[in-house]
Amino acid sequence: MTEPLVTFRNVEKRFGDFVAVRNMVLDIHEGEFLAIMGSSGCGKTTTLRMLAGLEAPTAGEIRMAGRLMNDVKPHERDTPLVWQSLALFPFLTARENVEFGLKMRGVGAAERKRRALDWLDRMQIADFAERNVATLSGGQKQRVALARSLVMEPKMLLLDEPLSALDANLVIRMQGVLTKLQKELGITFVYVTHSQSEAFAMADRVVIMSQGDIAQVGSPKDIYRTPANRFVAEFVGRNNILSGKVLGGDAKGMQIATPQGTFTAQTPQTPLAPGQSVSFAVSADLLTLSETEPDTVNKAQATLISEEFIGSLVTLFLEGADGMEFKVQMQERALMDLDLSPGATLWLGWDAASASILSEG
Amino acid sequence: MSTKHKIDLYALTWRLPIILWQLIFFVGPVVFMIAISFFVVKNYRMTEAFEFVNWQRMLTRGYFWDSYWYTLFIASLSAAIAMMLAFPAAWALAFRASENLRRGAVFLLIIPFFTSYLVRTFSWYVILAESGVLNAMLGYVGLGPFKMLNTHFGTVVGYLTLTLPLAVILQTVTMANIDKTLVEAARNLGCKPLATIWRVVLPLSKTGFVVTALFCFILAFGDFVAPFYLGGSQEPTLPILILDTTKSGQQWPRAAVVAIMMMLTLFAVAFTAIMLAYRKPKVAR
Repeated sequence: MTEPLVTFRNVEKRFGDFVAVRNMVLDIHEGEFLAIMGSSGCGKTTTLRMLAGLEAPTAGEIRMAGRLMNDVKPHERDTPLVWQSLALFPFLTARENVEFGLKMRGVGAAERKRRALDWLDRMQIADFAERNVATLSGGQKQRVALARSLVMEPKMLLLDEPLSALDANLVIRMQGVLTKLQKELGITFVYVTHSQSEAFAMADRVVIMSQGDIAQVGSPKDIYRTPANRFVAEFVGRNNILSGKVLGGDAKGMQIATPQGTFTAQTPQTPLAPGQSVSFAVSADLLTLSETEPDTVNKAQATLISEEFIGSLVTLFLEGADGMEFKVQMQERALMDLDLSPGATLWLGWDAASASILSEG
Repeated sequence: MSTKHKIDLYALTWRLPIILWQLIFFVGPVVFMIAISFFVVKNYRMTEAFEFVNWQRMLTRGYFWDSYWYTLFIASLSAAIAMMLAFPAAWALAFRASENLRRGAVFLLIIPFFTSYLVRTFSWYVILAESGVLNAMLGYVGLGPFKMLNTHFGTVVGYLTLTLPLAVILQTVTMANIDKTLVEAARNLGCKPLATIWRVVLPLSKTGFVVTALFCFILAFGDFVAPFYLGGSQEPTLPILILDTTKSGQQWPRAAVVAIMMMLTLFAVAFTAIMLAYRKPKVAR
């Protein structure tokens, strides 16, 4: 395996008493699209700002291509950032904005102009090159901001929730633009967002942060299918989380007694002793729903409470034993032959492989 | 719609006080002053007339133009000095100070306005006099004494007493409202810390700074106290010329000419400055 582009080793960032990032260990590889995701205050933006040199770590080491970066000033780095507010200079035209970084590097006027126009053309906004940025639309500004960073030909592009100000249709389009760009250029994108759909749609790897800690790192699919802990299971997607005690088990599955019944879950890598308290998660789209008892390993009865349509997808909310709320996500047409009147009692079923045990935290 | 052309009595009632105020205390006096400038003085008494003799007398005299250019020059110079002296302090307050420190500093900067400008001017006597505090201190290091009272330097010090606190406050407020992200964005694109002042801070502060400089200029241009008490009025500024003209032979009409020239100058300067400050960004080619 090649050496990572960026390494975080036990990095900590404090603001007074507040710990924004705690003991972070993370490698960022060359050419990957990495998303850092979490709710506000989780430390994702602080992590990005440390990469740009806008904040210095309180402890630990950040290295880029082996070089210690802790005290390297922002203007001495090659880490252009696309800002949430875009931060285009309002007193400059689109082209002058794109030229700014090249000018700071001492690139000559003619060369600057050629490269700026080249990038504006590539972003399909060459027609607006001489316009003041204040007169551009949201999507056009977005493209200017991207061009302004990419014209610097960096090894790594930092993006801080760049799509959060756009309307939903434009977000989807810009996601396409971004993933295509990243693949074409082959450079590393580090993308900070609070949006799961953005992170999962674009990233090769996702880092989920919670209160300054990394809760899980993995591919979108890994995180979605096997959340490492309760925080991730609750944060990502629609998971049903059940808690109980370990009865026993082998390599094929663990038996867990819960107030909703005794279920079999996937055996985790670190073995669990009988009697231990444990939680496991089952993704809402891995549950089946039927009027008769299913022949799956795990089954439970529940009462239908309500349903929620998102186009062709439907989420059903059911109440099981002990007040447990189950969420089931299905295609609308798969529900045709079920009695879905509120209060109807239905069977839920799922495989042992769909139930992943969560570590504490 | 027909209602558009009707006079809205309700709105007019509320607007009336300000309209009356402007008519009585601004438009009225200005019209009166313009009228006076065409009057003539006979036997030390002002007589109604419509003659251009005052305009002719003042505008063809070397001493008027000497005074005019001197006032324009020294008021501009002191405005420029005020802007430059204020900048480091305002920059530090806007970018380095905490919100609380900034608030406290702005409050402290307002305190000078609690005391009379005249009193503050007189206090400079103690400091600037031949045997004053400053010369005594310079004496310890083997310098001076310098003549500081009754010089151009004295005039500028007086003007700065008037304008510097205001310049710091206005500059601070201007820069505190800048989006700090833009400064960080410049750093992120390779701009050195000091260069961000030229590249980002000043372009973003243009409107506020032009207005601040305009204020400093207007205050200095019309000030009579500093050039009179600290400048010694050897080189009379226009306000001192007005005073002298009215005292010598009751020449109110000629003083009116000077005053109108001052007003026209301020109008021209203010108009140019505002045009400059609010110039629209270019929209298309």
